[in-house]
Amino acid sequence: MPADRVIRKRDAIIIPSSQKYLRAVDDYLERKLRRAGLDRSLVADLAISVSEAVNNAIQHGNKGDPSKKVTVRCALENRRVTIEIEDQGAGFDPAALPNPLEEANLLKEVGRGIFIVKKLVDELSFTPAVGGAGMVVRLVKFLSAAGGK
Amino acid sequence: MKISSREQNGAVILEPKGSLMGGDETEALHGQVRDLVTNNKKKVVINLAKVDWVNSAGLGALLSCLATARRNSGELKLANLTEKIQSLITITRLSTIFDTYDSVEQAVASFK
Repeated sequence: MPADRVIRKRDAIIIPSSQKYLRAVDDYLERKLRRAGLDRSLVADLAISVSEAVNNAIQHGNKGDPSKKVTVRCALENRRVTIEIEDQGAGFDPAALPNPLEEANLLKEVGRGIFIVKKLVDELSFTPAVGGAGMVVRLVKFLSAAGGK
Repeated sequence: MKISSREQNGAVILEPKGSLMGGDETEALHGQVRDLVTNNKKKVVINLAKVDWVNSAGLGALLSCLATARRNSGELKLANLTEKIQSLITITRLSTIFDTYDSVEQAVASFK
């Protein structure tokens, strides 16, 4: 796969490690979720969460190495949306992230991404990627009977 | 993201449209604030009425705008936050940092 190529599959998009591809991920996700009938607020929560996780994968997972890829997979089933963001980096310890609500961190321009994801989705997990280096961040959002669609 | 600007009662109103999600476009907003406060336009309002999505990079950019304004003896106010943005600013405790107003008129009137 050339370093600058985006690969689009039925249930996934694969991008090089650069923020300039965030819009491609955003377009993929919004099209898929809108087509499934999710309301705008829910799509916004998921799009923001995925942007945070992909940014994290690019910067902290793959360390900005454009030869490494970020894969975003999205599945809708049983009234839940599951989105996985997989990098090819050495991983990081989410428990070691500083608390952005602490007074000393309030004015910092970075460091809120994972905190925001935790607030916007129903489940968030970090697991090593199967069969190689990397980490998988899994986001789950449950669709309510009334408001999910 | 497009950013328009206008003046009202001595304040400059910046009106970004689209998403504040990081990257060059978000940096452009910070650049505009920097240009204003270093060119003696010290009262700046960012009207967020047409900004639908903000992520942590967007919040970081707004903090950069605030820091740059303060460093240059300027003031920065936020107006017309959507429910989604207000929610993010509240859960991140940035509501204790930013001056936010329900309308541009209220924000402009708040400048001394």
